[in-house]
Amino acid sequence: MFDYTFQWNQVLVRLPKMLDGALVTMEVAVLSMLIGITLAIILTILRLSGSRPLKAVATGWIEIARNTPALFQIYMAHFGVASFGIHFSPFVSLLIGITFNNAGYLAENFRGALKAIPDTQARAGRSLGMSQIQAFGYIILPQMLRISFLPMTNQMVWAILMTSLGVTVGMNSDLYGVTQDLNALTFRTFELFAIAGVIFYVITKFITLSARIIASRLFRY
Amino acid sequence: MFETALSAADLIFLAKGAGITIVVTAISVVIGTVLGILFGVLRVQLGPILSAPLTLFLDIFRSVPLLIQLVLANSFIGMVLKLQLSGFFVACMVLSLYTSAYCAELVRGGIDAVPGITRRAARSLGMSWAQDMRYIVLPLATRVALPSWIGLALGVMKDSALVYVVQVTELLKSTQILITRLQEPLFLLLICGAFYFIISFPLARFGGYLEKRSSND
Amino acid sequence: MKMLTLTAAFVAATGIAGVAHADKLDDIIASGTLRCAVVLDFPPMGMRDENNVPIGFDVDYCNDLAKALGVTAEIVETPFPERIPALMSGRVDVGVASTSDTLERAKTVGFSIPYFAFEMAVTANEKSGITSFDSMKGHTVGAVAGTFEAIALEKQVNEWGEGEFRPYQTQADVFLALSQGQLEATVSTSTVAMANVKTGNFPGISVVGKAPFDTDYVALFANRADYGLLNYLNLFVNQQIRTGRYAELYEKWVGGDLPTLTVPNAYR
Repeated sequence: MFDYTFQWNQVLVRLPKMLDGALVTMEVAVLSMLIGITLAIILTILRLSGSRPLKAVATGWIEIARNTPALFQIYMAHFGVASFGIHFSPFVSLLIGITFNNAGYLAENFRGALKAIPDTQARAGRSLGMSQIQAFGYIILPQMLRISFLPMTNQMVWAILMTSLGVTVGMNSDLYGVTQDLNALTFRTFELFAIAGVIFYVITKFITLSARIIASRLFRY
Repeated sequence: MFETALSAADLIFLAKGAGITIVVTAISVVIGTVLGILFGVLRVQLGPILSAPLTLFLDIFRSVPLLIQLVLANSFIGMVLKLQLSGFFVACMVLSLYTSAYCAELVRGGIDAVPGITRRAARSLGMSWAQDMRYIVLPLATRVALPSWIGLALGVMKDSALVYVVQVTELLKSTQILITRLQEPLFLLLICGAFYFIISFPLARFGGYLEKRSSND
Repeated sequence: MKMLTLTAAFVAATGIAGVAHADKLDDIIASGTLRCAVVLDFPPMGMRDENNVPIGFDVDYCNDLAKALGVTAEIVETPFPERIPALMSGRVDVGVASTSDTLERAKTVGFSIPYFAFEMAVTANEKSGITSFDSMKGHTVGAVAGTFEAIALEKQVNEWGEGEFRPYQTQADVFLALSQGQLEATVSTSTVAMANVKTGNFPGISVVGKAPFDTDYVALFANRADYGLLNYLNLFVNQQIRTGRYAELYEKWVGGDLPTLTVPNAYR
């Protein structure tokens, strides 16, 4: 039926290199999530703050992150900001691009989650003598993070998928970059990318499944 | 900063790229939504075990980077099947399936959000399955899923920036071509980003408004 | 019995005749269009004029080939990493894309005889203090992903054991990064380096010397099994040189000493 000869061997001998790339992909995604969640919390606080300029900064960030392509954001983090003489390595550019995106989407999720938490709780906290910060940190924040757990898992999966865009800023150590390099060497496009696809699938499944287990342990009631 | 070598011809060139972005998005969202509704209803009707193969198939589109999906589809169709399909066709095909995978989730969520008791009430009033779907489930599920669907459609537009790998010159690729010639990366990137933003932002706001409205009453 | 053998032989003969496909060459002539993969951010081999129409050495070369075949040429822009996938997926018929004819690649596609040869040059950002190939050691250097020079340079950086190698997707991104100072030096074909420095688009960069890589012979490529087409391409390249068209195009786009395309002491 097919007169195409698959040469899986050429790809399988290079599998260790691709798995190294998968580790870098995980590293970028995890870092971008940790920083992204922190930034998203800060953005949420800025949005809640009374200050107009701070609110504008937060809203601007969130809307740009959500309304332009991730590829554009990553390209901008490398070539765009370099017009101002600021240079980031491909790794850092990719990390900044994905983190910027993560923070924007997560902050929007957090906003939705906040709506589900009644105002009365914060007021109850205040009347117990908590400061505004304490009330946010001890009462609102934990609930907000719990309600947003599923969206956060989805964002983590997206972060993994977004690492594939790093090649546009010269990244070649992540899974997609390694695969592309090997493709330039051997031209076995289909075989290489099929294997890369399988690795990506396994990683994302691993994340969603472990998130489900964590969720069932943490939020049992 | 605004002294630019950008000519009217270049703006038309960019506009053409933007046109391709919109056309690819529109085709993929329409086909993807039809397929997504079909897949979503099938999954609910068949139950988790019978629909497992479908679930797994759709899951692939949500678990593998779109860039890899495009490269794989392109090389499989061309190298293995030896079909002569244009890059535009491959781009629309992959994006449609990609859309349908997410859309099926929304449809399933929407249907699940309709209380079982409401549907049983409809059936006990003598409605057929089709009538129940048409008059009870569809209006209620649409209300739940519509805001997310707008988000999905906008997501597809932004993700369509990746179809450059199958030689489709959409907006971001057109921008890169102009950067190659004019060497004004920041200025051109800002134009490109502004374009996406202008289309996406009002629609996203509209989605937010719908969501607010449906959650208030 | 004899009758049976005869019949069998007849069936076999017609069977074989029936299996024989039309050659790719016939397909191209019949379709009336020759689709060439060309890299369009690789001046002077491939670029765009102010109306964003493709021009350059490779574009002219494709047009010449189409003229020889009596068909119209269609230029399909392919970034460097997408050249072979474009061919393998049937999106183009032939690659006129400054492609180095490495043995590794020849396992997958078929190459013609060389139609052009590049010398490799080092271009550096003036602030980096890089003055030669060897002084790149320990610096951040880059090249276009998937090219001959990228593969050689990455190997060299690994051998040095210090510094960093970054592959970018396009030649334009490499020079952009170089002039922005994100890269301190790059190795590219000398024609491309000269052409880019000459445009004045990239302030602060200059060609500082040659890279000690082998001459980079580049060839046209087509599907490995399309012998008829590959034979035609070989003859076409030969004719371009014989008729002086190669020298003419070289003068038009590059200028200077015409590189020889034959390897001393070798048959091909």
